Amino acid sequence: MAIFTSIFRISLGALVANKLRSGLTFLGIIIGVTSVMTIVSALEGMQAAIREDLETLGPSTFMVAKMMTAMSEQEFLDKIKRKPITVDMAEAVEENCVLCDKISPRAFEDATVKYGSEKLNNITVMGGSSNFIDIVDMDVAQGQFHSPEDDLYKRKVAFVGDLVRETFFEGTDPLGKTIKIEGDKYMVIGVAKRRGQMFGESQDNFLIIPFSTFIGQFGEPRRQGVFLTIKAASVEQLEETMDEVRVILRSYRKVPYSEPDDFDLMTADNVLDLLNQFTRLFRLSLIGISAISLVIGGIVVMNIMMVSVTERTREIGIRKSIGAKQRHILMQFLFEAVVLTLTGGLVGIVAGFLIARVLTAQIDMSIQPSAVAIIAGLVISTGIGLIFGVYPAMKAARLDPIKALSYE
Amino acid sequence: MSMIRTEDLWRTYVMGSEQLHALRSVTLNIDKGEYVAIMGPSGSGKSTLMNLIGCLDTPTKGEYWLNGKGVRTMNDNELANIRNREIGFVFQTFNLLPRASALHNVELPLIYNGTPAAERSKKAKLALEKVELGDRMYHKPSELSGGQRQRVAVARALVNDPSIILADEPTGNLDSKTSEEIMKLLDTLHRQGNTIIVVTHEASVARHAHRVLSILDGQIAGDETIPEHERNGVH
Repeated sequence: MAIFTSIFRISLGALVANKLRSGLTFLGIIIGVTSVMTIVSALEGMQAAIREDLETLGPSTFMVAKMMTAMSEQEFLDKIKRKPITVDMAEAVEENCVLCDKISPRAFEDATVKYGSEKLNNITVMGGSSNFIDIVDMDVAQGQFHSPEDDLYKRKVAFVGDLVRETFFEGTDPLGKTIKIEGDKYMVIGVAKRRGQMFGESQDNFLIIPFSTFIGQFGEPRRQGVFLTIKAASVEQLEETMDEVRVILRSYRKVPYSEPDDFDLMTADNVLDLLNQFTRLFRLSLIGISAISLVIGGIVVMNIMMVSVTERTREIGIRKSIGAKQRHILMQFLFEAVVLTLTGGLVGIVAGFLIARVLTAQIDMSIQPSAVAIIAGLVISTGIGLIFGVYPAMKAARLDPIKALSYE
Repeated sequence: MSMIRTEDLWRTYVMGSEQLHALRSVTLNIDKGEYVAIMGPSGSGKSTLMNLIGCLDTPTKGEYWLNGKGVRTMNDNELANIRNREIGFVFQTFNLLPRASALHNVELPLIYNGTPAAERSKKAKLALEKVELGDRMYHKPSELSGGQRQRVAVARALVNDPSIILADEPTGNLDSKTSEEIMKLLDTLHRQGNTIIVVTHEASVARHAHRVLSILDGQIAGDETIPEHERNGVH
């Protein structure tokens, strides 16, 4: 142990004595680790943001629709031919599902919305039941969401996204104002809290009206059909509840026993898994590209260590002549390499995280330092020190003491 | 039992297709407490012999026993151990670490046998005091004169209390006055019971020893005991 600490001190001394050389190596590693850390942190941040967005659904909630995903063109073509889920079917689920705690039918239509002379095209108008706000974790900034009565009496009331508020009512009170959706008049009764962007697209250009009102104005949603958002009584009962809904829908849609479902059921976890599958290659290639800079950093370490060994041949000869064993010399040079890469790695981890934070802030995400990324960064930088340091260190350890002593 | 015993010792270098015999069948005995000079012109093989005795090198053929232990079959680690504990080297070019203080240079052999830091520093200070450098402990080699540097090297050689002090042309880089100083130091160490082997080509240096081995063309050409009245130094 005494030998170990003494040799470690010798290594530190050599690093301090060769500031320029140490600094250059340091830089090589910092650049490598920083780039990897930036990418990894940013990717993790994105992942977390997506998860957070999906979890507004809650862990005991699932969605049902005619088609939610298609992993291939063939699957897409098959699914597009399915019968839509009709309002009748949605009502059948509502009437018959025992395990369902809350059921919220929804339908969508792109529409033109006007307020006075101002106009917004291609706004997503959603028809949703009054309990939608309870199932989905959407915050009300102003006013309120529509009530069961609004739904029952097909009242023409609208709950608007923040972008709609900003466009029409910036600086004024939006509540009680009248807007026109495809020519029909609606009264604004509430505003959603700003949700920000995801993948560069605003999450705030929507408008929600009662489900019954929606059907009244736009009719049965023919193409996409009705979306059902269903909350099970508890997470434990999620699977059972999904099964019950599946049975009800299959019987209403007259699906034979031998045939698979002709509709999709998905939980937030399913969506996340799917998204991960889609982005896997993208993420791997980004990490791969940034890893190249780490290898370059490693080569810098090796290069500098080789120079260092050559330059200190005589020192190695002296040490060996007074009794240093091969392993002592090996340790000394490996320590040097690892101290350099490990401290470089530490700086790189912090720098990478900060850069990632600035980058993700551009797309309205906030990332937290993750233990996995930090540990990975430390392991990687130590590994680089060991891998690229071992050859020069072995070269030093194996020097012939007589030749090393006479080296000029 | 001899401290150093060699029998039919050969060291052959292969240079391309030629074989160069640096040492040819050297057989010698050196006892504990002896003060021996190995003399010979450059290229005679005296440095090769010193490298072998100092366990920096192993013989091509023949046997070498140090304190009864056969060196030829030792591996790298065992040789390092011998160099650390049994041999104290003093080189012509001092071979001190330029960036380390005198104290750290002297501590170096103790580092490699795991002596704890406190004891290390105590022993190193004692060795430096022995060579009268107690007041220069924290100076770097560049801040010391040639003679002082060589004294640091002697202290380093002494610090592990080795069986042999092996000095290779210890005065080669020093002026005659300083040379005399260093030789007197070696004389004193001998009187204190150390076994000393000095490799040199200078007769005045060799005359400090009690026995002179002459080497020529890789062979021992002479082995004479110097009568006390002919010796330099001790009177």
